[in-house]
Amino acid sequence: MINQKDLLPKDMGRSDEQLIKLEVDQLMPLLAPYDKPGMEPAMTDPKPAWKEKFCTSLDGYVGIDTLIRPKSKEEEDEFVRKFLSGLEKIFSDANNGVLEPLLLTFEYCAKCNTCSDACHIYTATGNNELYRPIYRSEVLRKIMKKYFTKSGKLLGNFVGADIDVNWETIARLGELAYRCNLCRRCAQTCPLGLDNSLLTKEIRKIFSQEMGIAPTPLHTKGSMLQIKTGSSTGLSKPAFLDTLEFLEEDTEERFGIKFKFPVDKKGADILVLHNAGEFIAWPENPVAFALLFEEAGLNWTLSSEIMGYDSVNYGLWYDDFQAKKIALMQMKVAKDFGVNRLVVAECGHAHKASMVVGDRMAYGDAKIPVESCLPLLWDMVKNKRLKLDPSKNNFPVTLHDPCNVVRQLGIVEPQRNVLKAICPQFREMTPHGVDNYCCGGGSGFAIMNSQNFPQFRDSVASRVKFNQILGAFKDTIEDPSIPKYVCAPCSNCKGAMRSIFEHYDATEKFNLQYGGLVELMVNALVSMKKPYLEFLDKE
Amino acid sequence: MLLSFIAYLSIFLFVGISVYKAYKFAKMPLHGRMELYPVPKEKGFEHGGSFYEEVSWWSKPHEVSHFREIMEMMKEILFIKKLFENQRPFWWISYALHLGIYLLMAWTMLLVVGATTELNGIFVAANSPSIWGLLIYYLTFVTGICGLVLGTLGAGLLFLRRMFDSTLKKYTTPQEYFNLLLLFAALFSGIITWGSDLSFSTARDVTANLITFTNFDATGLQIINIILVGIMLTYIPISKMSHYVGKYFTFHTVLWDNSPNVKGSAVEQKVKKATSYKPTTSWSAPHIKGPSAPK
Ligand code: SF4
Ligand code: SF4
Repeated sequence: MINQKDLLPKDMGRSDEQLIKLEVDQLMPLLAPYDKPGMEPAMTDPKPAWKEKFCTSLDGYVGIDTLIRPKSKEEEDEFVRKFLSGLEKIFSDANNGVLEPLLLTFEYCAKCNTCSDACHIYTATGNNELYRPIYRSEVLRKIMKKYFTKSGKLLGNFVGADIDVNWETIARLGELAYRCNLCRRCAQTCPLGLDNSLLTKEIRKIFSQEMGIAPTPLHTKGSMLQIKTGSSTGLSKPAFLDTLEFLEEDTEERFGIKFKFPVDKKGADILVLHNAGEFIAWPENPVAFALLFEEAGLNWTLSSEIMGYDSVNYGLWYDDFQAKKIALMQMKVAKDFGVNRLVVAECGHAHKASMVVGDRMAYGDAKIPVESCLPLLWDMVKNKRLKLDPSKNNFPVTLHDPCNVVRQLGIVEPQRNVLKAICPQFREMTPHGVDNYCCGGGSGFAIMNSQNFPQFRDSVASRVKFNQILGAFKDTIEDPSIPKYVCAPCSNCKGAMRSIFEHYDATEKFNLQYGGLVELMVNALVSMKKPYLEFLDKE
Repeated sequence: MLLSFIAYLSIFLFVGISVYKAYKFAKMPLHGRMELYPVPKEKGFEHGGSFYEEVSWWSKPHEVSHFREIMEMMKEILFIKKLFENQRPFWWISYALHLGIYLLMAWTMLLVVGATTELNGIFVAANSPSIWGLLIYYLTFVTGICGLVLGTLGAGLLFLRRMFDSTLKKYTTPQEYFNLLLLFAALFSGIITWGSDLSFSTARDVTANLITFTNFDATGLQIINIILVGIMLTYIPISKMSHYVGKYFTFHTVLWDNSPNVKGSAVEQKVKKATSYKPTTSWSAPHIKGPSAPK
């Protein structure tokens, strides 16, 4: 193990069993009441069996559960060969869709180190060298230079081509690509406009698109399952319809409200696309959407077509091929449906997938206008299409801005306008809006639960966010009789919140709650006879 | 003559290679959108907003302000705003170097203007009877002194900072030290060559000889300086110090390009072209190539 302070990019090829180890006392301190000793679970060592099977030689965590240690020298060589072949391909026409931004970031980094402080993972680790945004980029540059540039071949160390490339180097780099949330906060501060997350994603892409290695929750149980069944949850059409029926009955039973989800309704104006995970993990969210849209009198529908009821697109995080395939399939379903517009519900990466990433994948009649639910929700509040009573939400509320929605789409005001209108105790976190910090669940982390990866996510990736939450509620945090609500209008962010609150036992101890935006809106509806939010329902 | 040739050639190469690089980037295939807010041309720039904050955004005009975009660009070019905001200590020295270079570019142009003015019989000096002559004289004086001092100081301090800052040191390659040393050498040789005559009339005379291909008795220092500057001018655009080219593209075609692909738009035409392109290379993972790959 190396003292992280001495760690150099070329050390990735060292034969150490593990490059560095994270300890709680080195991490960024948490705010009160988590500043006392014993409030946080200790960091653990990887199990011996994992060390033998996976790549735990980076920091002891396993992000890629399909990255298996080779059994022979041949396998090892083949692994390195494949990586290098993929590395060459990211600079070829197979990668036209990112070639220009990639080359710019690859060539122009001035190593000014302005981006480091913007990164919540680097900050959370107490500025551990391994997690500096340019550390990873520099390793990739060194390998590229060593094998594929004239200057590297001729001048070697002089131009930085000074790294040993073996199984360990490449595998560690693959793991390191899953220590970044792809949140692009670092890119906002770069004086040259460069984007380290781009290189991170290219590493993930080489692993997936060339070597066939990607975390199971993203690939086999993610995008592949979605292409096969229509949803990454595996929810089939009949199961989806059953779920809707169950939710209708349940809502009637609990709140005395009779309603029906419009499904495959001909002539509807709006097709609403949810992250299908909502129906399973947070069904109150799609129900709330339905209640609001019905009350506002919108002409809307859900689709039960395969690919029509799940907005997710995990390809965005690791594989362009999968991303494109899913985006085009989703576009086709919406197009065939004949609605005027597609509204993306509370899922950040689905927003980005359908509105930004998918924007240049098709053209003309193959496309259908897509918009975010957030402006629509604000429009309903602003134009008084809903009868709302803010006093029903009279508890502290703060807003977590999903990176995909703010930084990558520029949707900043509508969601906070709604909160300002319906939550008397709304307060911002610091920083917020486009300067927000990732929840720690970005780029797939929220659903990556294999081996010990959740510990990295909860203790490190989500650490800065947790501190922001503690900061926003510092006036009432220690009083468990007051519920404190983190509004996170994104399925992945909610997943991350659920994990951190469990990890820190924060709901139990301090009554920290989380949920989406629409739940708060329904809770404020004058027509609701009892609180929609379960934690307010004391009966 | 040879020095004139070096001067012309290096300037030609500097401009030529820079333009060629820009051309290469401009000709690159259309890439996916990856804008990053705040985007200056957007109406909601102050809070980082975009047209997506509107309901049915596609049915409304996309209001953009190119003036604000240019203003933000100027702040970056003239003041390196992002560095100023995000890493102040580094900004001081980086800005010294950049400002020094800008001033030296102005100085060089003023030397050329001054030399031509003198060739036309107008005296350029502190006691010139001509207002033009006086103006050129003082502008040359100020830009020359400030440019040489700031530039040299900036390059030298950046080099030292890289050497002694424990973090930067880890990421700096020998080539990157070389880049700074080359800048420092060219600028420092400028100070010793031209600093002995702060009226810069020697510099103006030499410039006059250089631009008119006139043979003259150059001193050893002058030869060294002209050659070093020549090497520097040729090397900058081929090295990553050509970030003045890259930076235009990172902002304009990547971070600030949020033009949606709507019907009838220019982007739509580009998308049409890009989607018809058949790549010559393909990926090898089983889900892309293999028999079980989804159709
Ligand atoms: S801020 Fe930009 S140029 Fe500076 S080190 Fe980071 S990526 Fe490189
Ligand atoms: S994209 Fe986000 S997580 Fe990744 S290096 Fe940049 S700031 Fe850190």
